[in-house]
Amino acid sequence: MAVRTIDVRERVMARNDQLASGIRERLAGTGVPALNLVSSPGAGKTALLERTLADLSRTYRIAVITGDVQTQNDADRLARHTDRLVQAVVTNGACHLDALQIATALDAIDLDATDLLFIENVGNLVCPAAWDLGETGKVVLLSVTEGEDKPLKYPSAFQRATTLVLTKLDLIPHVPFSLERAVGYALEVNPDLQVLFTSTILPEGLEEWYGFLRAQLHQRRAA
Amino acid sequence: MHEMSIALEVCRIAEEQVGTDTLPAVRAVGLEVGEQAGIEIGSLVFCLETLLGAPPFTGAAPVIERCPGDVLRVSYLEVEDGRPDD
Repeated sequence: MAVRTIDVRERVMARNDQLASGIRERLAGTGVPALNLVSSPGAGKTALLERTLADLSRTYRIAVITGDVQTQNDADRLARHTDRLVQAVVTNGACHLDALQIATALDAIDLDATDLLFIENVGNLVCPAAWDLGETGKVVLLSVTEGEDKPLKYPSAFQRATTLVLTKLDLIPHVPFSLERAVGYALEVNPDLQVLFTSTILPEGLEEWYGFLRAQLHQRRAA
Repeated sequence: MHEMSIALEVCRIAEEQVGTDTLPAVRAVGLEVGEQAGIEIGSLVFCLETLLGAPPFTGAAPVIERCPGDVLRVSYLEVEDGRPDD
């Protein structure tokens, strides 16, 4: 049989990116900043959001979409700190959230009654980096109990992020972790990263984070 | 880790290009995969061989071309056109 070649040249992520563009338009239309939190498992995404909801949900209307491979445990943890429905996406094995899941979850969120949207991605420092969710910015978390060289080992997550949040600063006295080296490696792969230092335990440990969130809210309102 | 999602999307693109009825005639699927695309090639090939080896496909071969950057795209399909060779 004769074989013919069909020229395709279609990006594999084209459909996801098209859906992500639609999400970006929906968010821009309502002026809602959306932050996509990515990190290794255990870096402290849920703990950061728990404290953020507890401290800010009376001031700002915060919506959350949280992804996990199995269980709704994170959604249950977060729901204790907000009156709003936390959207749980169980990926059933997939190692990342995709734009279709976010578009579907957004259908259940009243964006007109929302000031800020968090997307808590699946704990994984490789795959979520590749999937555009239509977010305003990716926030990558790195805890001081991890290796300082994570930015070099997993450069995509750090290259595609706008912000690096170092977490668990309260543990610094107990672990051999150099903040200077970690930040240096991160800026080596992405010189434009904004770096924030946080602890959910220390007093004032989230002041930099809250300052960053307020700036996001003001920027979007001014736009 | 996300290679199966990528492989499924490759199969969807193939179907979109040639239509469901023609999928059994696909002999090869050409892909460009960048060095920075975050793809483990062995895993992607395994996932593609698994999917392309089962109906509606009939054993199309994945052909991977490595390239610089983070490009990840389906570059071509080879399809038997049903006519005998000249």
